[in-house]
Parts: sequence; C-alpha cells; structure tokens
Amino acid sequence: MDSTSFLSPALAAGLELDGLAALVRGYTVQIASRNGTALGSGVVWHPDGLVVTNAHVVRDPRPVLSVGGAGEFEGRVVAHDARRDLALISIDAAGLVAAPVGDAESLRAGSLVLALGHPLGVALTLGVVHAVTTTRGMPRYIAADVRLAPGNSGGPLVDTSGRVVGINAMIVGGLGVAIASTVVRAFLRDAARSGAVSYTTPLAA
Amino acid sequence: MSASNPASTPASTPAPTTPSVLQSLSDDLAAAVAKASHSLVAIHARRRIPSTGVIWRPGIVVTAHHTIQREERITVTLADGTSVGATLAGRDPTTDIAVLRLNSEVGVPIERAATGAARVGQLVLALGMPGPAVTAALGVVSATGGEWRTWHGGRIDQFIRLDLAIYDGFSGGAAIDASGRMVGLNSSGLARASAMTIPLATVERVAEQLLTSGRVRRGYIGLGVQPVRLPAGVVAAHALPREVGLMVVSIEEGAPAHAAGISLGDVVVACAGEAVADPSELLAALTGDRVGTSVTLRVLRGGAPQDIAVTVGERQTRSDR
Repeated sequence: MDSTSFLSPALAAGLELDGLAALVRGYTVQIASRNGTALGSGVVWHPDGLVVTNAHVVRDPRPVLSVGGAGEFEGRVVAHDARRDLALISIDAAGLVAAPVGDAESLRAGSLVLALGHPLGVALTLGVVHAVTTTRGMPRYIAADVRLAPGNSGGPLVDTSGRVVGINAMIVGGLGVAIASTVVRAFLRDAARSGAVSYTTPLAA
Repeated sequence: MSASNPASTPASTPAPTTPSVLQSLSDDLAAAVAKASHSLVAIHARRRIPSTGVIWRPGIVVTAHHTIQREERITVTLADGTSVGATLAGRDPTTDIAVLRLNSEVGVPIERAATGAARVGQLVLALGMPGPAVTAALGVVSATGGEWRTWHGGRIDQFIRLDLAIYDGFSGGAAIDASGRMVGLNSSGLARASAMTIPLATVERVAEQLLTSGRVRRGYIGLGVQPVRLPAGVVAAHALPREVGLMVVSIEEGAPAHAAGISLGDVVVACAGEAVADPSELLAALTGDRVGTSVTLRVLRGGAPQDIAVTVGERQTRSDR
C-alpha cells in the first residue's frame, strides 16, 4: 500500500487491522431481547435495514438491535431458517453501512480471517482458516482458528479486505465455525422467492 | 428491485486493486500451507479420526508415536488422495516419534527450514491432515531453549514451544514457517496442554535409528532414585561437586544394579564420571551406546564414597504405550 510503504510490514499490518476493525464494527450489530438480555450479533446486509444473523440468536421475535452510530431499533424477524441456522431481521432504518460480501470460495486453509462480535462489548479475534467444508462443491461451513465466545453468534467472519465470508454460528472443538456466505446467499434467495422480503433497492448494494 | 426477482441477491464485492499488507500476508500463508500440504499424509492407525504424518523421504513418513494405536493394517492417504499400505518401521515413546515405511517409494518429501532457525515471535502454522484435507492453525514461536529431556527421558535437541491452539490432527503434523518449510514435528504428548514441536535434528536422529534398528536403544540399570540433599560435612569431606545426590529407593529384582550389589539407601552421586543430582541426569548418562558395557556408579554408603561397576542392560520399551 503506497501510503504505508515507509512502514515496516508488521506496523503497516497493524494499522490495516485498525482500519479493518473500524470498517467491520460499522456493519456489525448487537442483538438483544426486549428485556435487555444480550442474544448475539448480526450483520447489516442491506442499507435499508436488513440484518442477517443466526436463527438460534433470535429467540425473541421482536429483538432490539443496536447499530453502531445509528442507535437502537426494534427488529422484526422476516425470515427464519432453522436448518441453515440463519434469520433475517428487518429494522426501520435506511442508509445504513452494509457489509461488503466476500467470496467463501476464495478461502483456503491458512487464509487470514477476522471475527467480530458482541460477547461483552465488541470483541475482535484474528486467525486463519482451518478448513472449509463443502457440499456439492459449494462452501457450507468455514472452520477457523479464531477464539469465539457465545455472543459472537450471528456476527461476521471477515477476510483481509473486510468482506463478510461467513456468519459465525458455533464453536466446535475450540474452532470457530461460520456459515459460509454462499449459504447466506441461498437463504436470502429463498426468502425473496417466498415473498418474505421485498427490497426497494437491490440487495447487492 | 422486486422480491420476485431472485437475481437481486448480492454479488461478491471485488477485492481492492492495491493488495494490502494483510491481504498479501494472507496469500503467503495460504500458499505456504498449499506447498507443505503436498507432503502431509493422513494415517489410519487408530479408531476415531486419522492422525497426521509428514513425508520425510520418498516412502518414509514420520509421525507422533502416541497417535499410532495399532501396528497392523496401517494405511496412509497421500495428499493426492491415493491410499498406500504402510508398516511401522519403529517407534520411540521417549521422544514421541514413530516412523512408517510406505509400501511404495511415493510422496514428496517436505522442504525443511535450517536447523536451529526457530526464533521467538516467528510466525508458524501448524498443519494437520485428520481427514482428506489439510487443516491449519496460526501462531508464533513462544519459547526456544537448549536441549531438554522429555518426561520419558528422550533427548530433544532444542526446546521449541508454539503459541497456537491444538486441534485434532495436531500431533504428527508439521509446524511450518511462513514460506512453507518445516520447522518441527508437532506433538501434544510431550508437555501438558502445551503445543510443542520436535526439532528437525531430533526427528532426523531418531528416524535414522528407527529405520536402521527398529528402535532407539537406551540403557537400563533398574534403579528407582530420589534426589536428597547431602550433609555439608560429607560434601566437604569428599570434595563432592554437587550438594544433592540420588538416594536409591527401589531396585528391580535381577536388574543390572541388583546384580552389581547396589543397596537401598545408597546415594548415587556420579555415573560414568558425571555428577548426577537429578533422575533425568542419571537417565541421560545411560545412553544407548553404553548398553552391554560397564559403567562406574559412585555411591555414598554410610557416608563414604564407593565405586561400583554396573553392566548396563537395554531398556525394554512397551510398544503399546
């Protein structure tokens, strides 16, 4: 990177991490129940107030979402897929910072990834892809060497450009396991087909 | 765009055109994994999940001894997916190293880093292959040190501890540097809850012995000892080099020490001319090349030193450990 070429690579990497964390924090939301119990995290998928999270996170059909910089919103669960463990929440907001979506297919064992979430405040963890599980050639789960906590559920797994490659869903044998962005796309496609969601602007914002 | 149009799903955001430092680091790490993974194998020699091994030479695989739970019907899956039968060339529980001979001289030997090149803070990846695909974990070298002995008495040429998480397949896998060269053979069996990697020098030495003789010979005299502080007067009177000796608390019936007349309560202060103040030092003095030869134990008996010659036997290793 030209602006940082005079820095040592380690220092430049640190600065980039700072910038990356700020970017990801902008589209990561905290999800709580109406009585204030923290449930997990979510990812702003569309600037018009669509948030993707895990199905197991939305135990409350009217959760409260805190969107960094934009305040608190009452959410409405508009699509729920227990099999894929994904849910889509709609909030009455516009002009939000939506997450750029990455390509889970480009990940390989050893690729650097970050996870951000709200276990207790915002927590960032850095690691590498441990393995990618595929079904019919499509990435389904991304196991990553990142230290997750329960509050990370529904939060983003991010590549080095800040793009979401997965939704963190569980911890298996110490490994963080995320639902691949390819699966999220299929889930959103199904939600759109079923008429559960309608968009005023394309989802590909 | 309306909901009835499924084409409204998001496309991937293109990557920035200027590669960032993190992006190139990520690419380098993934490339290092891809390069080294050609030399990793999955070993089917235990129930649950396969363990990992590393191609050391064509047809030769090194792995962690404790992951090999059966010695017959071993098969190995190479990185390209082919399956090859293998036989156990030998195992050394003291260093947790085992060597397999594949039924054909196949496999790409792993590229190795320079011996002794591990530095604290250096990025390392632990690779495993507990299934068809290689897995990775990232960390740094957290500590290095000199030669040490495992709790089974094996000699490890350099102490290298890694700061990374241990997942399935860690043991028997390779620790590699950021350019994909092996720095050690990973084992979770050498220190509690700590990721240790066995340096290449040790792997080379032990693998060589296992391939030649099927075992690593170690001396045996049949003593159980306990460190004890020696009375200051005794140390001064006999100009002893150490203030601690090893009191004999058990003697195996018929063992070399028994035959040589060592008694319970004797305090061993030297073996073959080397002062010993810790059981590991006594173990260290009983090297494989001393098997069958006579060594002199200097013991304190009734406060007076005596030299007793003991013919060193060979330690039998339970192969099922």
